[in-house]
Amino acid sequence: MNRLMALIKREYWENKGAFRTTPMVIGGIYILLSLMFIITFNHFDNEFQSLKELTRFLSQTEVGLRSDIIYGVSVGVFPSLFTLVLAFVVFFYLLGSLYDDRKDRSILFWKSLPASDTLTMGSKLLSAMVVAPFIFWVIYVLTHIVIMLIFSVVVLSLGENPWTLFLSIGNPFKAWSMVLMSYLAQSIWALPLYGWLMLVSSFAPRIPLLFAVMPPVVFAVLQIWIEFLQTFTLKKNLFGVIGDWFANSPLILSADNHGNDKLEISLGVPLTETFGHEATLGNMLDRLFSTHMLIGLAVAAVFLGAALWLRRRATES
Amino acid sequence: MNNVIEAHGLTKRYKGTVAVDNIDLQIPSGRIVGLIGPNGAGKTTALKAILGLANYEGELSVLGKNPAKDRAALMEDVCFIADVAVLPRWIRVWQLIELTENIHPRFSREKCLQYLQSTKVTLDQKVKQLSKGMVVQLHLAIVMAIDVKLLVLDEPTLGLDILFRKKFYTNLLNDYFDEERTIIITTHQVEEIEHILSDLIFIQDGRIALDCSMEEVQESYIELIVAPDKAAAARDLQPLYERELFGRFIFLYKNSNREQLKSLGELHTPSVADLFVATMSGGAA
Repeated sequence: MNRLMALIKREYWENKGAFRTTPMVIGGIYILLSLMFIITFNHFDNEFQSLKELTRFLSQTEVGLRSDIIYGVSVGVFPSLFTLVLAFVVFFYLLGSLYDDRKDRSILFWKSLPASDTLTMGSKLLSAMVVAPFIFWVIYVLTHIVIMLIFSVVVLSLGENPWTLFLSIGNPFKAWSMVLMSYLAQSIWALPLYGWLMLVSSFAPRIPLLFAVMPPVVFAVLQIWIEFLQTFTLKKNLFGVIGDWFANSPLILSADNHGNDKLEISLGVPLTETFGHEATLGNMLDRLFSTHMLIGLAVAAVFLGAALWLRRRATES
Repeated sequence: MNNVIEAHGLTKRYKGTVAVDNIDLQIPSGRIVGLIGPNGAGKTTALKAILGLANYEGELSVLGKNPAKDRAALMEDVCFIADVAVLPRWIRVWQLIELTENIHPRFSREKCLQYLQSTKVTLDQKVKQLSKGMVVQLHLAIVMAIDVKLLVLDEPTLGLDILFRKKFYTNLLNDYFDEERTIIITTHQVEEIEHILSDLIFIQDGRIALDCSMEEVQESYIELIVAPDKAAAARDLQPLYERELFGRFIFLYKNSNREQLKSLGELHTPSVADLFVATMSGGAA
């Protein structure tokens, strides 16, 4: 346990820029934009005249509707940049996880420590599945709190009550826990991808990105071509499988108001009908306890097993 | 199990070429072994097998363990520097120390800091900010602060200046080495380590060309320096190797009659370097 923690700490140290600085920059941008928004209003507006009117207008809307919108923005719109960047960070982290130390030969140092390859790979996988999402989530929550404070001060200075206007009705705790749940659910849902990235990272002689992208693309194109030659139809191929997998993700990926006032927050992209897309914990669990997930876990196990086998032999030549 | 390393028929093939060819090896504890051979002779390959970094054919037991299967467990009792400058470049010195402390049960932070005190390395520096020599100093400080039974050093002092090299080997002998420990060193600077070695292993084309203790070297091998007029007589006594230096002839003999040789000229104990050259050119063994 001690060793695993030490190895996870190692991953954090090495990737501090991606894991910590990146979400802090996003949070900073959000806070800066909020301040710029307020300053712009102040600049063009005498004494916040229109902001005052906007606040007054909002305070007169129905509480249920307002609460829906505030919750929807907190859970569906506000974290989207964090979620998107987190996906990129985890993707490239895993792609380099078993490659970088082979490249600079520091693998010889790591292998001189009494930590097994399984433990080392476990620490990397856990960093991608838990550590990075958790840090992003903490900074999303902190940013959210700071922005709510800024707007509370503004609303207070305009003579309205921020507590009744948005603080008490937006249900931020529910929003925060939903985002955290969706991050963790995604970590499990995405295991086949994570396994593939670690496998590529473990064998690519150079440019792991190319080795990660090329084989599935070539495979899918061949699949489509052969399918087409045989039957003149285009049935399910690898692209379709990956597309469906992405559309079924438990991440909160889209918010749509469908032309009416209600903001609809969806898990994944609501194009498939395999799972419910409404952003609820039940729908996340549906995904995790499905046959799809079982197949995904089997695929992930094969990829991770192969990555481990290669890792053991990484110092052969 | 007195032998730290025991190998029978150790063989390693890379796609058709044989890097290590059917080696038998016994290294008891409490020895400092110099593993010496030309480039590409199979030294590093043999060490990789011993350290669990590569698969092999044949039997191999290191501290009673199978290195190919139990690398992680083995590394609690074995430490190695595989090559120069393999420390991760992004890490800070204090992080490296903390990490080793948390992973290695036999690491002493105090000892490590003590070794580092005599260097210019500071705790807050990143490895990439250190000079090549400082990286090696840091690596050696970490390795020497780990209390293990077997230490393997593959070209540990490459790229270091002579002052540091001398100091390092003195430290190794005075502060680190004891009867419980075994050290295996490979290096091209044979003359710098020959006074600390207890055993000598020459390796050539994947085979062991010579395996003996330093006492045996001193007992069995002898160098004779003669003037040109005695050269023919000396040549008749079946030297292993001969060379010419400043107009005088130098012959190397194994197990020869010292009295007989003495009548021809000066006798010396050969240096490891001379013995190595003689062995590699097909003479000794």
